[in-house]
Amino acid sequence: MAYHTSIYLFVFLPVVLLVYQLTPKKLRWMTLLLSGYVFFWMISGKLVLYLIGTTLFTHYIGVWMSWMKLQCETAVSGLTKEESSIVKKRYKQKEKWILIGGILGLLLALAYLKYYNFFAKNINAIIGAWGGSYALQTKELLLPIGISFYTLQAIGYMADVYWGKLKVEQHPGKLALFLGFFPQIMEGPISMYSQTADALWQGAPITGENLSKGSVRILWGLFKKMIIADRLYVFVQAIFEHYEMYHGVMIAAAAVAYTVQLYMEFSGCMDIIIGSGRMFGITLPENFRQPFASRSAAEFWRRWHITLGVWFKTYVFYPVSVSGLVKRWNKFGRKHLGKYLTKLGVSALSLFPVWICNGLWHGARWSYIFYGMYYFVILLGGIAIEPVRNKVLDACHINENAWYFRLIQILKTWMIIFTGELFFRANGLRAGISMFFSMFRNFELQRLWDGTMLTFGLDQADYLVVVVGCVVVAIVGMMKERNLLGEAGLQKLCLPMRWAIYYGLILAVVILGAYGIGYQQVDMIYAGF
Amino acid sequence: MQDFKNIGKRAGKVALFLAILFVIFELMAERMEIALIKNDNLVQSRNKSLFRIQREPQDSIDVIVLGDSLSYASISPMELWEEHGITGYVCGQSGQKIQETYHMLETAFETQSPKLVILETNTLFRGRTGLEGIKETIEAWGNYYIPIFRGHDIWKSFLIDKKYPEESYKGFSFRCDVQPYKKGNYMLETEQKEEMPDIVVKYMESIQKLCYKKGAELLLVGTPSPVNCNYRRHNSISAYAESNSLDYLDMNLRLDEIGIDWETDSLDKGDHLNLSGAEKVTKYLGDYLEEHYELPDHRGENSYRGWEKEAREYEQKAQLHLEQMAAK
Repeated sequence: MAYHTSIYLFVFLPVVLLVYQLTPKKLRWMTLLLSGYVFFWMISGKLVLYLIGTTLFTHYIGVWMSWMKLQCETAVSGLTKEESSIVKKRYKQKEKWILIGGILGLLLALAYLKYYNFFAKNINAIIGAWGGSYALQTKELLLPIGISFYTLQAIGYMADVYWGKLKVEQHPGKLALFLGFFPQIMEGPISMYSQTADALWQGAPITGENLSKGSVRILWGLFKKMIIADRLYVFVQAIFEHYEMYHGVMIAAAAVAYTVQLYMEFSGCMDIIIGSGRMFGITLPENFRQPFASRSAAEFWRRWHITLGVWFKTYVFYPVSVSGLVKRWNKFGRKHLGKYLTKLGVSALSLFPVWICNGLWHGARWSYIFYGMYYFVILLGGIAIEPVRNKVLDACHINENAWYFRLIQILKTWMIIFTGELFFRANGLRAGISMFFSMFRNFELQRLWDGTMLTFGLDQADYLVVVVGCVVVAIVGMMKERNLLGEAGLQKLCLPMRWAIYYGLILAVVILGAYGIGYQQVDMIYAGF
Repeated sequence: MQDFKNIGKRAGKVALFLAILFVIFELMAERMEIALIKNDNLVQSRNKSLFRIQREPQDSIDVIVLGDSLSYASISPMELWEEHGITGYVCGQSGQKIQETYHMLETAFETQSPKLVILETNTLFRGRTGLEGIKETIEAWGNYYIPIFRGHDIWKSFLIDKKYPEESYKGFSFRCDVQPYKKGNYMLETEQKEEMPDIVVKYMESIQKLCYKKGAELLLVGTPSPVNCNYRRHNSISAYAESNSLDYLDMNLRLDEIGIDWETDSLDKGDHLNLSGAEKVTKYLGDYLEEHYELPDHRGENSYRGWEKEAREYEQKAQLHLEQMAAK
């Protein structure tokens, strides 16, 4: 039951809204929780037990750490400052082991279900290469929907309790709702406990304003997904599945088309999800902020899949940055290597785990690991050349904020993004490498207009709609970038103007949407992660 | 009091918004339907019969044929006309689901008063369960009641002159490939049954009610298809037909009487029949209808001159195709 399907939009969501509103305020959290479990069960059946198990386990770990904190407080009462410091340290250490146990527990479940076959295949390949005959059996493992998303939320919660950022949640129902809110289950956004838990628990009544704003957001998501992404899918699928038949500009076009498809699809689904949340009065965190306006790869990741980036920054990057290893490196570097190399080393040590995790999080494939490493190298390279770059810019008197320089930076970032997505979408790392190199062979730009593009199941009208759709999304993006548009902006418009926009959106989706005869229903890409 | 006023005001706004949207949809759908009925080249193959049946003169069709691709690959209305003067129309669609069958019948009843509705039985095993079933029901419902959904792609025809021309004789097209079926007897007798999906049973109830309301009889027909038919399905449909007092003609058990030769009559290795097979099946069906139903012979009637003209054209082309197929 994907979020853009008729069954979700016209049956599930309205029924839950109705039942939610009819439920007494105190019990509304139960309606939402039950809806989440029903939603999960409708997609993954009895695998909902994994979600329930994760919830209970996370709750237990949180309560255990909190109990340890209380024990510590009792133990230090009446002690001298020095004694209490030693006791506190001892208890913190115990708490740390509980946290590590908790994280490992969740990660082991994730690793077993998601990565077991990948590791088994690779270990078998290594054993085979060494002439061994032992082989690990691969297994048919069913992956619960959204496991990569709710696992990160659960780990985030445990870490926040450990750091004392959060008070432990005593009520397992509240934690369960945080992990199992149905609009977030399949694709995120990955929220922190402090962002959504209270609002979910509150059981605020459904208001006309929230319903209308939520509906508009959902419509906007459908516009991106059904008009642009699902159309491009046909072309992207044709090239990536038969990449051996293509080269030059066709591969480049496929990389661009996939990037646009992924953005329209993922951000479109996010709009539907955030719109759904809004209907219940829940403000879910944003996952995209005009990523194609980025001037660097680093900025791109601050604007693309924001909640994943924030999660890695909070729970991987920062802890690694202040870890003993980095501190020791800092000390060693300052003594022997100088400021520049020390900084570079610190960056490498902190960024590497982030990007290897980012790659692996997307799935058990070498191409995803490569994708993570690709950005690691680019970001580290950016840090490495920064001093030289700054000197060159100074020497040439180039104003970094000049429009032409900004344009060059944006175009450069686009190249990085398109290349990254080429490897991300390719059917394996080997296919990605092959496609990358074939892009520079027989470029044949004329293929874009000699009729070749019409042989993939899309006609001129389809391409026109894609282009116009992208222009509309770009204009809206530019207006958002300049704070000219948004919920508040829309509300400022006079009623006829506002309604004209709503009608325009509805008619655009109904008339131009890639659905019905001649089109394929396209599953949500990130639901597979 | 103020709260009620606000709620009332907001509800009024929502009602007005939806009313305007409804009017926009209705106006667009009306214009679209007129354009599609007038020129079915604007309609994609799968939906053609939906609009073509509406173009037929009112109450001129006595037999409506429904079903998936087996229906339009096996039954040729022009043959029925030539041999028996029966006016039939095939409203089959590729992969037609039972929900679509029901709404297609509703559409046909809007302008026609057929005396007999023939349902090709392969559709009875197409129903999906669970979420997919609900989704298909919503989609079929939406396509019927909000027609803009089913013809929404019409803008392409206006923008780039995109057309979907297809020769059709009352829903039947010439399919002339020959790919023999060679796997032998596929109707191996058994007591076992393949259950019809719940959603199919439910919709069959609605189809029966609709036929009853409109005064049409319902006949279940299984056309020859080794790929899709077997004895388990036959048993299930037989039991269903018996318990619902419906007529059921399973041609898969009468291949010798019909004269099916899988060397020459198969279009695609036993999945569908080709023109040669369709002619044999239709001839047998025509005789069966004449024997069991009182369907009028319209040949020679002034208002059916168009049928005679179309039949002559059909006959000439069919002969040519059959000769070419024999020469292959």
